Amino acid sequence: MLNKIYDWVDERLDITPLWRDIADHEVPEHVNPAHHFSAFVYCFGGLTFFVTVIQILSGMFLTMYYVPDIKNAWESIYYLQNEVAFGQIVRGMHHWGASLVIVMMFLHTLRVFFQGAYKKPRELNWIVGVLIFFVMLALGLTGYLLPWDMKALFATKVTITIIESVPFIGEYLKILIAGHSDIIGAQTITRFFAIHVFFLPAALFALMAAHFLMIRKQGISGPL
Amino acid sequence: MHRGKGMKFVGDSRVPASGRKPNIPKDYSEYPGKTEAFWPNFLLKEWLIGAVFLVGFLCLTAAHQPPLEKIADPSDTAYIPLPDWYFLFLYQLLKYSFASGPYNIIGVLVIPGLAFGALLLAPFLDRGPERRPSKRPLATGFMLLAVAGITYLTWESVAHHDWEAAKLQGQIVAEAEIDTESDGYKIFEANGCVTCHGGDLQGGAGSPPLIDTGLTPEEVAEIAKNGQGAMPAGLFQGTDEELQILAEFISTLESE
Amino acid sequence: MSKQRVTRRQFLNYTLTGVGGFMAAGMLMPMVRFAVDPVLKHNAAGDYVVTKQKIDEITNEPVRVDFSFEQKDAWYTSEVTNTAWVYKDENGEIVALSPVCKHLGCTVDWNTDATHPEHFFCPCHNGLYTKDGVNVPGTPPAAPLDVYPYKDVDGYLALGKAEPRKGA
Repeated sequence: MLNKIYDWVDERLDITPLWRDIADHEVPEHVNPAHHFSAFVYCFGGLTFFVTVIQILSGMFLTMYYVPDIKNAWESIYYLQNEVAFGQIVRGMHHWGASLVIVMMFLHTLRVFFQGAYKKPRELNWIVGVLIFFVMLALGLTGYLLPWDMKALFATKVTITIIESVPFIGEYLKILIAGHSDIIGAQTITRFFAIHVFFLPAALFALMAAHFLMIRKQGISGPL
Repeated sequence: MHRGKGMKFVGDSRVPASGRKPNIPKDYSEYPGKTEAFWPNFLLKEWLIGAVFLVGFLCLTAAHQPPLEKIADPSDTAYIPLPDWYFLFLYQLLKYSFASGPYNIIGVLVIPGLAFGALLLAPFLDRGPERRPSKRPLATGFMLLAVAGITYLTWESVAHHDWEAAKLQGQIVAEAEIDTESDGYKIFEANGCVTCHGGDLQGGAGSPPLIDTGLTPEEVAEIAKNGQGAMPAGLFQGTDEELQILAEFISTLESE
Repeated sequence: MSKQRVTRRQFLNYTLTGVGGFMAAGMLMPMVRFAVDPVLKHNAAGDYVVTKQKIDEITNEPVRVDFSFEQKDAWYTSEVTNTAWVYKDENGEIVALSPVCKHLGCTVDWNTDATHPEHFFCPCHNGLYTKDGVNVPGTPPAAPLDVYPYKDVDGYLALGKAEPRKGA
């Protein structure tokens, strides 16, 4: 039955080459932990992706309860964590996952760096990777404010003060991010929400697509 | 492959009617040596690791409640903030005199800018053909230095933070119904207790909440007169009867 | 005039880029202006709040003046109450000090510490400030109390936003 459906679609769209290319590419011996245990260092990239998927999914589900508003943000988080079934798990996945993404990405970056895997012809992929790192840090920074609890507010105040101390454009930069010249409040949280949920993930998707396309095109770097 | 004139298509589309790629995986003999197919051989190994990882991760989420402090109160100016752990090293950097005050710009822009810029442009700074870490001492050295620096700064930041006070200052405090017309509350206000413990008795930085203290009136009176911890002695300046009323008032405060 | 003719393909490519640029600009311009609006908005801060304190009733002795105002954060308004310690200095100039201790943000009081009369005193950690709001060295605060700029509005005191001063 399934085969029939597959053939029906394939006859019209010729989808076999699309996915056979991904499925049939060969994985060299030196990245396979079955042959060299030290090849476990090649897992970090994949695990980063895995945690990123968890982040995206848990974030999507969190917005079913979360309200980005100074009066209700904290209340909605308190509610979803304490009243909703598995609230602690879902928010926990997003909260602890944020830290894990950073850890895994850091390890992945160190692996690539110390193996010199960023050298010709993979310079572009390295740059895209570092940009992904920036985007992830920015996601962590903007996400920190959203629960609107004490540490969220005051850590963001520090961040905004730091941004303000940038010469010449600091003041404008601050208002652009905080939405108000001296209040961290209603406009800040909506801005951070928009950046955290729409702008940065859009950038992240584009960069990750480029990252993976380049890996498929160039293949994995050879053994040292 | 057949191309050009005489080609047959599926309906009026551009998909050829015949000669489509069969959906058969490559023969294993096509993988030389210890090379193996990504699907399903290698992917299965990756997913096994992913499954183990996920179990550990779910245990973590089940065991540790994600932290949530009390709702943000911009008027609490005494709160000592701390960023997420992966920004601690930047936060710590700004505490040093060479990177703060008049040199703030060094800590805010120059050092992080140079570090992240170098990371971004690493392929163009380290151009030699060698890949082994031991054969490119500069690149390896700088990266080890950076990792050591980040580790040290994070460590310093964690070691110098008062975690006990941090836990206290953000705690979600139970609310209690407070009768602001009662004699006890008026004495509480008149003696300036309100400046530290707050009008709703929820406490602040360095001062504990006075709800659910579990103390007897005698113990409350003792603390009000002689202080405790950061609270100096002699703050209460009323009569003994007033002290008695105040102590009764505070010791009976319980959240709903 | 260049002898090189613009080919049909080049011409169409340029036109395509132009039309594409127009569409991108048309879409993004309202959105970008929308996003940067707070930066360009005239800053309403610096408004003076009229208090209930009559200016000719201010003496050399600091008095506590409470004043509340509506803080407007876009669609969210809240009533915020601030306090000032107001007196006239030797030159007859009005001084309005913020009561927020520069140590940990407790609230200072005038003349409440028996051992240090004529000082602003913070009960939390025994911080002291002289009458002009300068922190007494050796006590916890590291900076003088903030000062409110003031105005005379029909004989009543109006206060602006408290501004920090340099350390003692």
